[in-house]
Amino acid sequence: MNLILSIAQIVLVLILAPSVSWWIKKIKALSQNRIGPTILQVYADLGKLFQKGMVISDQASWIFRAMPYILFSSALMAASLVPLFFKSSLLGFSGDLILFVYFLALGRFFLTLAALDTGTTFGGMGSSREMALSSLAEPALLLSFFALAYRAGTLSIEGIVLHFSLEAPFPILFFTSMAFGSMLIVTFVESGRIPVDNPATHLELTMIHEAMILEYSGRCLALIEWAHQIKQFLFLSLLVNIFSPWGLADSTMGIHLLFSFLFFLSKIFGLAFVIGWVEIHTAKLRLFRVPDLLAIAFVFAVISLLGQLMIGR
Amino acid sequence: MERMVEILKKKFGDCIGKSSDAIPRQLHIQITKDVVVKISRFLVESLEMRFLFLFASDDRKESHCFHLRYVFSIHHLDQFIVLCAPVREEDVTFPSLTPFLPRANWQEREVQDLFGLVAQGHPDPRGLILHEDWPKDIYPFRKDFVQSGKIPRQKGEYIFEKVEGEGVFEIPVGPVHAGIIEPGHFRFSVAGESILKLEIRHFYTHKGTEKLGEGKNPNQLLCLAERISGDNSVSHAAAAAQALETLCGIQIPKRAQCLRVVLLELERIYNHMADIAGVVLDVAFGFGSAQLARSRERAMRLNERLTGSRLLRGMIVFGGVRNDLLDLDMKFLISEIREMKADFDEVIQILWNVSSFMDRVQSTGMIKKEIVETLGGTGPVARASGVDRDLRRDHPYAIYHELLFMVPVFTEGDVESRIKVKMQEVYESFKLIHEAIQGMPEGNTCVAEVATLKPMRSALGYVESPRGECFHWIATDQKGKIARWKIQSPSFSNWPLIEYAVLENIVPDFPVINKSMNLSYSGNDR
Repeated sequence: MNLILSIAQIVLVLILAPSVSWWIKKIKALSQNRIGPTILQVYADLGKLFQKGMVISDQASWIFRAMPYILFSSALMAASLVPLFFKSSLLGFSGDLILFVYFLALGRFFLTLAALDTGTTFGGMGSSREMALSSLAEPALLLSFFALAYRAGTLSIEGIVLHFSLEAPFPILFFTSMAFGSMLIVTFVESGRIPVDNPATHLELTMIHEAMILEYSGRCLALIEWAHQIKQFLFLSLLVNIFSPWGLADSTMGIHLLFSFLFFLSKIFGLAFVIGWVEIHTAKLRLFRVPDLLAIAFVFAVISLLGQLMIGR
Repeated sequence: MERMVEILKKKFGDCIGKSSDAIPRQLHIQITKDVVVKISRFLVESLEMRFLFLFASDDRKESHCFHLRYVFSIHHLDQFIVLCAPVREEDVTFPSLTPFLPRANWQEREVQDLFGLVAQGHPDPRGLILHEDWPKDIYPFRKDFVQSGKIPRQKGEYIFEKVEGEGVFEIPVGPVHAGIIEPGHFRFSVAGESILKLEIRHFYTHKGTEKLGEGKNPNQLLCLAERISGDNSVSHAAAAAQALETLCGIQIPKRAQCLRVVLLELERIYNHMADIAGVVLDVAFGFGSAQLARSRERAMRLNERLTGSRLLRGMIVFGGVRNDLLDLDMKFLISEIREMKADFDEVIQILWNVSSFMDRVQSTGMIKKEIVETLGGTGPVARASGVDRDLRRDHPYAIYHELLFMVPVFTEGDVESRIKVKMQEVYESFKLIHEAIQGMPEGNTCVAEVATLKPMRSALGYVESPRGECFHWIATDQKGKIARWKIQSPSFSNWPLIEYAVLENIVPDFPVINKSMNLSYSGNDR
């Protein structure tokens, strides 16, 4: 039963990931006196891309062709480590926290390689920006993970979630909220949202993530977009499950599962609303200011870890 | 002005030929081509005149020579001076002004490309308007060029200026861009994200509009003028109409003058709103840009209701304005403007309180005043860099001399200043429309009898368009047909500035700098 539920969680990630993107789009549209797309639109877009033919540069090597599959499967593997509404994940083990970070790093590595592969201008520009930012985002993410792991006494995502769900109102809320702030900033960077990157822009010179995938079309593009949405979904799930783990189902009873599923959904969309709210209220940062933002994330993570070390668990 | 001619005659002797002031405020002086640089230097340095633009015309049929014309202005006397230098068919060279007046750079290259005259001493004689695939010995603006038939294309390569050094990369952008915009090529040399050099290459949409205008009747010409740059339809049409009317000595009715002011200012309002919206969108502040786009849409619907055209096309005709505005429309206009102003106020208030937006526009894309003056920048771009110049005030046309308005000038020269200038100008335009309507007398909107064009005359028409100074120069031949039509669009003056605006900035800030200047490709390429 546990296995079935864990697999169900991954299927759920696949299905729900695009809807979060839709939700943010919808919120933004409403703020601009527009109606915005229906929820079916995001799925229709993916479906359309899957059916379309591909144009691939004859300069492209195998890296260009293989990248979408590697990116998608690495995102999927990362998904298998994160518990959503059920307490355990498919491949959870002690130490999977670090593996999670590097599954994403693996995808990113191939993404940037593939962007360089065709030798176009914008691809190289996107790669260099992505690498510069992720070299700052990764330490911040890892450190905040460590801060949480130190508190929970385990390096497994499952274990951390379980620990926090059992711990009554946090005695040192301050330090965990620092880790939360750090991870939230990293989420903005990793999911390519304003104020760091603008997923809706047509201006190649300002792009980060989009610049790297300009050469892609059809099925490959659909996989990349989907993988990106999954990544965004995973970050949101981690945030809500670690920092508000209540309501996670620990039995396989139908009513419990249904309740925890609905609760999980509302938490995810609530947090996505926060992201949409930030997008509405800020302009994009200057590219050279983004490292400052990530430095804040890093400092948050350091305070969180050191604070706990000094004050004790 | 007679004194001016006397001074010149005393200083340059026989090199000064006959002068004519048949057209009020536009003095034509014949000179010989070898003293062009000397006289220009004297006019600019000693008499403090401003060089505006130069152009050529092919008059070989009448006088066996080409003519080069140099237009200068003295704003405190509200006077234009046109120096006219013949260039004989046998010797097509002329001395280049560019080393002394860098703003002549593109204009001289244009003359080289289109007329086959050679600017001697020009520091950068590469092709400008015609690209390398155009045969070297075909000059489309000469009268003997036949427009029918396909021109054979040839191979060739344009040499960009290279920046060399460790870690210096080139980023080619365009001519095909994302989004629905016109074509233009930008070649960046960058070290990391910092821009070391930008070279622009345009004229992909050169249509030979000036040549198309030759032989057309006045209203056909205005129809063409409206299509030079879509969002500046009224400005171009009004400038061309003024040139034609001045040429014929027609005084258009006062009501028509008032209506033209209303139309010109309506155009400015929707242009500036779109410009600010564009800047806001380019820094990804979706909320602000959506609200401004809504305001602009409202302005355009107002245009449609008043004139039947969202771009206000078809209203300016030779001798006046095509349709009168009814009292009902006027009332609607006034109430709409009151509401639009309140709306605009509110959006600007919000915008100015978003610190992340202000951070993006402040100190971005600085253009120094000296650069603007040297390269001849105009319009809001120049006014944002501290150049206090506006044709509406310095060389008033229509009824601008009777209206009270302020010319906003800021000195920082960054994106923020350019937005501020445009924002203030929107407020001034609201006021101007109000004033123009209030002072509007009853009467006709068009001269009763439309005159035919007088033969062998030429005149200048000018308008401060939303983008800056827009000049149209029209000359007629012996039969009274239009023989030459020169369009000096503000985009043509301002595009070279962008190469300086982006220096010391980073690549991802280029779009917002570009947008803040909002230059037209079509108006530039013509």
